[in-house]
Amino acid sequence: MWHALKAELAYFRPWLLGGLGIAAGVVLLLSVLMRLANEGEGPPGFVVAMFPIMAGMVVSFIAGGLRVEERRARLLLSGTITPRQLAWVNVLLPVCFVALSALALAPLLGLATLVAGKLEPSALRIAFGFMVQFWAYAQLGPLAQESTAARRERRGRAALVGWAFFAGVILVLAGSQFFLHSVHVQLAQVTVVIATMVVAATLYQGRTDFTR
Amino acid sequence: MADHRPDASPAASLSGLTKRFPGFQLGPLDLVLEPGTVLALVGPNGAGKTTTLNCMAGLVVPDEGGTEVFGAPVRPDRAEYRRDIGYVGEENGFFQGWTAARNLKFLSELLPGWSKDRANRFVQRFALPLDKPVNKLSRGNKTKLALVAALAHGPRLLLLDEPTAGLDPVVRSEVLDVLWEITEDGEHAVLYSTHVLSDISRLADELAFLRDGRLVLRTGRDELSESWRRVSFRLANEGIELTGVVEHRRVRAEHQIITREAETTLQQLAELGAEAVEVSRMTVDEIAVQILKEGHHVARAES
Repeated sequence: MWHALKAELAYFRPWLLGGLGIAAGVVLLLSVLMRLANEGEGPPGFVVAMFPIMAGMVVSFIAGGLRVEERRARLLLSGTITPRQLAWVNVLLPVCFVALSALALAPLLGLATLVAGKLEPSALRIAFGFMVQFWAYAQLGPLAQESTAARRERRGRAALVGWAFFAGVILVLAGSQFFLHSVHVQLAQVTVVIATMVVAATLYQGRTDFTR
Repeated sequence: MADHRPDASPAASLSGLTKRFPGFQLGPLDLVLEPGTVLALVGPNGAGKTTTLNCMAGLVVPDEGGTEVFGAPVRPDRAEYRRDIGYVGEENGFFQGWTAARNLKFLSELLPGWSKDRANRFVQRFALPLDKPVNKLSRGNKTKLALVAALAHGPRLLLLDEPTAGLDPVVRSEVLDVLWEITEDGEHAVLYSTHVLSDISRLADELAFLRDGRLVLRTGRDELSESWRRVSFRLANEGIELTGVVEHRRVRAEHQIITREAETTLQQLAELGAEAVEVSRMTVDEIAVQILKEGHHVARAES
């Protein structure tokens, strides 16, 4: 399983690096513009935090689509990997993309500080908040894929569970927007995202068609 | 093919294999494939050939019945049977942006039993360009890559879904040669689906005809070509009834028939006093076309 996950990460590395490059460019541009406009005032922390993590989320969506298009399951299931392991590869990929982009945030924060002079002290906490949010959105990709697959394979109950959970997660995320600064809310979001991963992985294991 | 794991079990056995889709049902299929056999699964588009192969490879879970490969049940959650299977489909899941070499390297770490020597041998044999990304390879080279990937871990059962479709004659011939060599040792079996009928006479020992998800006929290639004949004769009688005739054209007293029971038909013609009887052999391809055209009729007659 780790072999497959490593290979997928290596395969999508150019996409991730490209996405982070674009995000860095946007952050840098905003830092310069804001400094000019606000008499030396740096960009708000959420601006710096948002773009790189968003890049990780976008790459996770691209990877999800490309892997289906390239019929990756066919290749991976020709070896020793079981559908259970493949299910976890599917749901761990978004985690890895978002986590890697969050790691890339550190030098970007440094760069933005260098250009803008100072950053809000709450930038790191906000960055964590964004990470959880975008991770949640990224994780909705595999869940939507599995709910659709369940419907296509006429597994009615599985499709219902998948879509109901999907709607539930959206409602929770929408509701929690009002309390983003609360650590408790952030932890609740993490719990919901992990549950989303478990549901998506379970739905994948119940598939009757692994050709896509 | 270096792996020799003696086993008394059939290479593959399908028992009551059934898969339902909206508007289509495959099976129930019962089929046994012995080691050393090349079985061609012949049928028109939508007959269920790909679904059958996918079920055998464990990529599609049947609604009823099941498959065994060398005695091991095929279940997606069990990986053991996969070491015995080499599968070439239309889509093989390769990393399209990676070169053929990098894909093969990845597979060498994924598939137990992978032999670098064996892989290199097939790469050279097929003259496969290893340094090109998969999405830049031609259809023929993609098929070659899929074949190398399917053969390099030494499987005893090859499942090939239209392996020669879209290939130029030279590559096609090379691919068929390799497949033929693989089964020479009597331990390996090949099940391949095709609607390129000319492949049948080149490679297959046995033929299974699928139509609308049902197995309408399974027969040996030689047996098939021995029993089918095209016959022309002159007979003035109206309303003649001949056994085994699947096609009958008549212009006045001139008759042209195709029979799948040549011996019986010719005997009946002699008894009826037919004149100017001319018998010609049919190629396996021609017979296959007739069987697919007359699928239901043959199925009824066989049963």
